[in-house]
Amino acid sequence: MKKPVMYLSSSLFGKLLPRSKRYLSTKEAIERRSHLFNLEKKRQLENVGRIEKIEVNYKGVPKDCTLVMNRNISTPYDCAKHLTQWHTESSVLALLDGTIHWDMHRPLTENCTLELQNFTVSDPHQVNKAFWRSCSLVLGACATVAFKDTVAVKLHSFPGPDIRSGSFIYDIDLPSLPDWKPTQQELHTLSAEYVMLSRKALPIERLEVSEELALEMFVENEHKTKQIPSIARSNANGKVTLYKVDKYVDISKGPMISHTAQIGKVSVTSVHQLVGTPESDVNQLYRFQGVALPTGVVLNHFAYSILIERAKKLNPARSPINPFGEPSHTTHKENIAATA
Amino acid sequence: MNQAEVTKLVSKLRIKIPPKHRKMSSPEGPEGRMNKLRKTVTGLFKYERIELNHNRADEARQYAERLIAEAINHGDCHKPTMEMADYWLLEKELVHKLFKVLVPRYENSNTAYTRMLRAPRPEYSYNTEKTVLELRGNPYPPLHNKQANNRQLLQNILLDAAKYEYRQTKYAEMAENIGKNEQEKPSV
Amino acid sequence: MSLAIRKCSSDLLSITKWVVRREYRLLSTLPENIEPANTDVDEKAPRTGRRPRLQNPVLEYRHIYPEFLPDPNPKWRNSLREKLERADMLKRRAKIDIPEFYVGSILAVTVSDPHAQGKTNRFVGICIDRKGCGLRAQFILRNVVDHQGVEVRYDLYDPIIQSIQVLRLEKRLDDELFYLRDALPEYSTFPFDMDPEVLPDGTPVPINDVQVKLKPRPWLERWERQELKGVSNIEEHLKEKDRKRRELRKEPWEKYDLMKQYRRTIPIEEQSEIWGEVYNQLQQMHVSRRKVARKRVLATPKPQLG
Repeated sequence: MKKPVMYLSSSLFGKLLPRSKRYLSTKEAIERRSHLFNLEKKRQLENVGRIEKIEVNYKGVPKDCTLVMNRNISTPYDCAKHLTQWHTESSVLALLDGTIHWDMHRPLTENCTLELQNFTVSDPHQVNKAFWRSCSLVLGACATVAFKDTVAVKLHSFPGPDIRSGSFIYDIDLPSLPDWKPTQQELHTLSAEYVMLSRKALPIERLEVSEELALEMFVENEHKTKQIPSIARSNANGKVTLYKVDKYVDISKGPMISHTAQIGKVSVTSVHQLVGTPESDVNQLYRFQGVALPTGVVLNHFAYSILIERAKKLNPARSPINPFGEPSHTTHKENIAATA
Repeated sequence: MNQAEVTKLVSKLRIKIPPKHRKMSSPEGPEGRMNKLRKTVTGLFKYERIELNHNRADEARQYAERLIAEAINHGDCHKPTMEMADYWLLEKELVHKLFKVLVPRYENSNTAYTRMLRAPRPEYSYNTEKTVLELRGNPYPPLHNKQANNRQLLQNILLDAAKYEYRQTKYAEMAENIGKNEQEKPSV
Repeated sequence: MSLAIRKCSSDLLSITKWVVRREYRLLSTLPENIEPANTDVDEKAPRTGRRPRLQNPVLEYRHIYPEFLPDPNPKWRNSLREKLERADMLKRRAKIDIPEFYVGSILAVTVSDPHAQGKTNRFVGICIDRKGCGLRAQFILRNVVDHQGVEVRYDLYDPIIQSIQVLRLEKRLDDELFYLRDALPEYSTFPFDMDPEVLPDGTPVPINDVQVKLKPRPWLERWERQELKGVSNIEEHLKEKDRKRRELRKEPWEKYDLMKQYRRTIPIEEQSEIWGEVYNQLQQMHVSRRKVARKRVLATPKPQLG
């Protein structure tokens, strides 16, 4: 697949790049973050120590049953593997004790009852939210991979999922591209990149890390570095929740869907420029927008074209650098990031 | 043109009835056909959900529907109906099931008593359509998950929001037009 | 003549016929007593715990006016044509009195005939068959005239028919009486000057359980295979070969073929619609004709006195 052609002369690149002491290219940063994520995950697994058993009461088709699983190791996904392949493929979220929505790849901590939810449950509100959130997450990963090495891509944040707005979004800082308007070809390429990523059927892994480690992982991304302390403070245990798709790590509160193959029809529809207020530290951001449907949903092409047309308009979600056009407010900004 | 028979009264079936019966090849001729169908009807009443070839399922379904309709119409004190049930149900405990379980179940229903769904065909098989035939209200989990009308589904939320937005823009346009007309009128 | 004897037939009747008779008691009082019949059904309902279904009294019209029901073959169904035909039939029935009659009843039919003396032709005979639906409904009358069997087929709604008179209203044990063609001639001989027999109001239609004697073979049809009730001496004329073949040809499963029955009948729901459409007019005609008939009965004695 052809990558977007975004040439910039090296001299210009050098001038526009913000001066930072430790310079990492986007690719290197991704590798490093992924490596740190894996190390931390391994460490946390080793820390579990003696394996204790918990009883998970599964409720649903084909029949209710009790599974004996490992505390802090087994995930709802492992439980689904004991049932059928259909369960592993179609389950989006786990519902613990009828109240808590739990990621499919998050280890279980206690005895509980387990229900697996897919997109067609009778009340799919939380499932839809998780889907929309995951779409934003994958959009960030997709934008990171789509640009050439010469273009610095700094993910800023994405707001909480609002399906009625018609599009999922990710606000991204492209410091080396001050005035970029994507052509139709480039949007197609972005969509293709998205589809390629979703077809890989990669699991969306979850990890809770300490604030220091999170800062270390996002050291080259000044936006995330600023958001991390407030996110850690808003969490009860002072930790930061990270999600990893393929090798792209991002911060989000979750929960997320089980794997990327659950994203079916998808298109990246538009990229809008957000201009900041004079006081804000970022001059401008690009708002990437897209629309997606879960796998297995059959929608008439005309109806889908309506959704695409609507998703092309600028999403009315609050701009992190210019909320309501008022002077930027630091607490506001942190809150947005924290809800993501 | 022939005349309709008037000695018997039947209630209308709620399923599609083909104009002619199927012959169902059998060396015993029409009697063999009936015996085949009796086996299927008995199986359906016994297990409440069976998987079989489409032709036979569709044919047996009509007889099962008729049998239930007769049982509902005449009850268990009607001798001809009892004989009919005795003929069609090869296992005699199913006669009790028909009158004591199925009749109360379907007495007030407004739909067909059975449901027929297409089943997946095994990959390397004869070119026969497989079908699942079941009695409605059976204790098994449902086979289909038709929830296209659930407004909470993601696609429905998206389409509803798009519809709402479209209407809002139209209302705004109308309001503008009204304002314009009022402005024009005094000038004229 | 054995036909002249009319016995009380309660002993020989099968269960089904008994049911039919009961229906007729209800039927003959139909015009006045529809509502009482209905309440009677409602009283029964809680006792049995079953929903009363086929108790719509209007449905009993199917025996009196079978030609109002369309052909059940879906190939020939056309709701618009059927409706138009019903309207035409009612128009014709408003012109002449087409009385209630059954296979086995003795009828006198007067038709216009340009070649006959007095331009009319009257024929008396026993109805041996009644078939067809809509405007094509027809019946066959049979009689023996001068030792020669005569059969005339009339269309029920034929415009040349001037009057149809029922001389004796009764039924036989079979639905078709074609076997009279092979029976001894006395069974189908009726005098042309027969007087009409009037049944008192409210009596059920009697069933004549006479069993005819067949002539020796050859026959027109294989009567032995048709399970006829109205023939007494069929076994006398059979050879061993015929009996064997009759056994081979039997289809005992046919009466259990629920779908065969279904494809031959018009379901209750459709019938209710049809009868609901024609009920009022048929009812009015019936009542007005009865009034006229009563007056005539009262009026006839007077000239004799004078």
